[in-house]
Amino acid sequence: MGHVAVTGIGAVTALGGDVGALAAGLVEGRCGIGPLTRFAHAGRCRLAAEVPELAPAAATAVLPPATVRRLSRPDHLALAAAEQALRQAGLDPVLRERAGIFVGATVGGMAESEDAYRRRRSGEDRRWRLSRLLGTPLSTSAAAIAQAFGMHGPRATYSTACSSSALAIAEAATAIASGRIETALAVGTDALCRITYAGFDALQALDPQGCRPFDRDRGGLSLGEGAAALVLEDAARARARGVRVLARVLGHATTSDAHHVTAPDPEGRGALAAVRGALAAAGVPSEAVDYVNAHGTGTRQNDDAEVRVLRAVFGRRLARIPVSSTKAQVGHCLGAAGAVEAVVTVLALDTSLLPPTATLLTPDPAWSDLDLVPTPGRRAPIAVALTSSYGFGGHNVTLILGRGE
Amino acid sequence: MKHAVAVTGVGVVSGFGLGVQPFWDGLVAGRTACRPARRVEAPGCLVAEVDHLEARDVVRSPQGRRIDRTSLLALAAAHLALADAGLAADELDAPRTALALGSAFGNVQETEMFLDRLLERGMGNPLVFPNLVMNAALSYAAIELGVTGPTAMVTEQEASGEAAIAWGVRQIADGAAALCLAGGSDELTSSIVELRRETWTASAGPPRPFDVAADGPCVGEGAALLVLEAPEAALARGARVYALIVPHDGASVASSLHGWPRDGGEVARVLTPLLAGADAIVAAASGAPALDALEAEAIALGCNGRHVPVTAPRGAIGDFGAAGALAVAAAALAVRDGIVPPTAGCRQPMRRDLDVVVGVPRHARLRAVVVDGLARGGMCRPLRLEAA
Repeated sequence: MGHVAVTGIGAVTALGGDVGALAAGLVEGRCGIGPLTRFAHAGRCRLAAEVPELAPAAATAVLPPATVRRLSRPDHLALAAAEQALRQAGLDPVLRERAGIFVGATVGGMAESEDAYRRRRSGEDRRWRLSRLLGTPLSTSAAAIAQAFGMHGPRATYSTACSSSALAIAEAATAIASGRIETALAVGTDALCRITYAGFDALQALDPQGCRPFDRDRGGLSLGEGAAALVLEDAARARARGVRVLARVLGHATTSDAHHVTAPDPEGRGALAAVRGALAAAGVPSEAVDYVNAHGTGTRQNDDAEVRVLRAVFGRRLARIPVSSTKAQVGHCLGAAGAVEAVVTVLALDTSLLPPTATLLTPDPAWSDLDLVPTPGRRAPIAVALTSSYGFGGHNVTLILGRGE
Repeated sequence: MKHAVAVTGVGVVSGFGLGVQPFWDGLVAGRTACRPARRVEAPGCLVAEVDHLEARDVVRSPQGRRIDRTSLLALAAAHLALADAGLAADELDAPRTALALGSAFGNVQETEMFLDRLLERGMGNPLVFPNLVMNAALSYAAIELGVTGPTAMVTEQEASGEAAIAWGVRQIADGAAALCLAGGSDELTSSIVELRRETWTASAGPPRPFDVAADGPCVGEGAALLVLEAPEAALARGARVYALIVPHDGASVASSLHGWPRDGGEVARVLTPLLAGADAIVAAASGAPALDALEAEAIALGCNGRHVPVTAPRGAIGDFGAAGALAVAAAALAVRDGIVPPTAGCRQPMRRDLDVVVGVPRHARLRAVVVDGLARGGMCRPLRLEAA
């Protein structure tokens, strides 16, 4: 699969409205987790990684104003990230026309639907019709991208919880590797909403002090929001049109735990099969991996299972592989997390700057063999990186990315 | 035909009842499952509800006792499909088995319950929350069936079922799995009835797809899953093959975000290659006049003057996100039996150049049947099923 090139990336995260802000924020060790302001919440935790200000993508101008008014926040986030990635890749309308769209998301217009539901229920505003809920379908973000950028190839929306957009990237890469399409846009997008926030808090999965992945005192995750986009294309085509290749997708694998609706398999069997499967698909020995961007949510269950998987794969060599969880800075963006972390990993490959695990205070003594990359990150050239996403319900996706060359 | 994938099992849960037999008998007889509501509130309109579906009859694992209705519909159809394929869940080669489900809305009923409590008491119910994630049905089915291979939850409005099946076909064609269960489910709730009535006029009587007097769809619920295998593998284990499905990825066509595709000609360009030599078409028409007219135009253009029998099962099973999975099931059964069922509710087709099957079923050898997979938001996700 080495002939799938990444030629454009885009991101809108708590660290800022574009990839430059994300890259700078990461290596400065800036934390985007702060007070939750998007809605009132009365539970244990009041923190979130919110996208500070969101400028509408220029492409929204081509959509009818009535359509733009009905776009949900994840639609806007996705359009903004997609626009950045398409611009960097320099795809003209002809190349866009046949390009595929692969989106991963979990909530769609849920926050807007919650507002409509609340107003209607309270009798506050009868004009908020239930039909506002039509904005909810997750597939709307992909439809908006298709219409805004004139992309009429295949299109699909995946929702496997926290691995949704990692799956979208894997599907896009497969479509290109098999020669079905030459260009694909893979996008992850999600916004904070009451239901996910209250749900994770009720499960006591949120850390009221902010997430500290891999820390001895880790107490849960911090929810975030955002979108990230990657343009994938056939590497020969990318070379032929003279566009810079930022990274390559070398391989991927998708597995299921078949274990529990919320908890990961404590043995990490499904996750391990995904990592091993991805390495095999990439034709890369585990010895070649020189950076891991971890799922690293900061829950005890996830981080325990994940370290177990990394040890099983890398053995004693794990001590020499930098591992970071960037969720400490951008929060857990759920459906967007896989794409955000893929963009972060592409940046690490392209710039040789490895992001830190920024909120780590007290490394877990049980994991003294882990190189968790203290702030402010590290300059180190890498050739092969691994990033995994483990979704609620046991849906695991591992991506292997390589340097662009 | 290269890389075509065999359908070796079909499981359907519909307004006609549990299983393929009541579904296919109902379709072939031209009956409709749209009736006055019993479970949801739907004053003044008909709906297609699934009766007699109880978790205790379907679920096996302790976790599964908390299952929601959308997941239960899917799981019931999965068990039926496996049994139909002559397989038991514990016989599956777990890491080589894939699973794909499509749904337009996921779990609506419990989302409302969760939100009611959240708005009243300021806190969420941790016991319900796991069921609210879009992939809940996928997780439950993977756990109950022990599937550890590739899994995907996909969503694409009215084409959610076709999208999941298309993904499953790719898994088999690409060799990523040896067997794939693929299909979709969507539940009916009172709020969906209300939503649809606000959005467009719901028919007062049964829906009339493609009829000159079509006056709105009836909403429904249900699920269908297919067992997909490589033709050689099906042959090797002596499995009955309903039909072969040719991999196809679909295409975006110009549309408003929440409306139907704008241009029948553009849809026709996507459909034309699949319609070559097709002997029947299973359409998405639901009795919504604008959609039906657009689809009728696209089919007429795509068939290029040839009269191909068209049937629209949403007149019988109602309109819902995953209804397309039942349309694919119907296409597989049509190929097996050489029968194109009539379009329930249609008496006088809206176009003369459209050969809508009306009143009685057509008997013919069907070498290829196309499900057109039209959806709001500008999606065309057709699938072509061919005789083995």
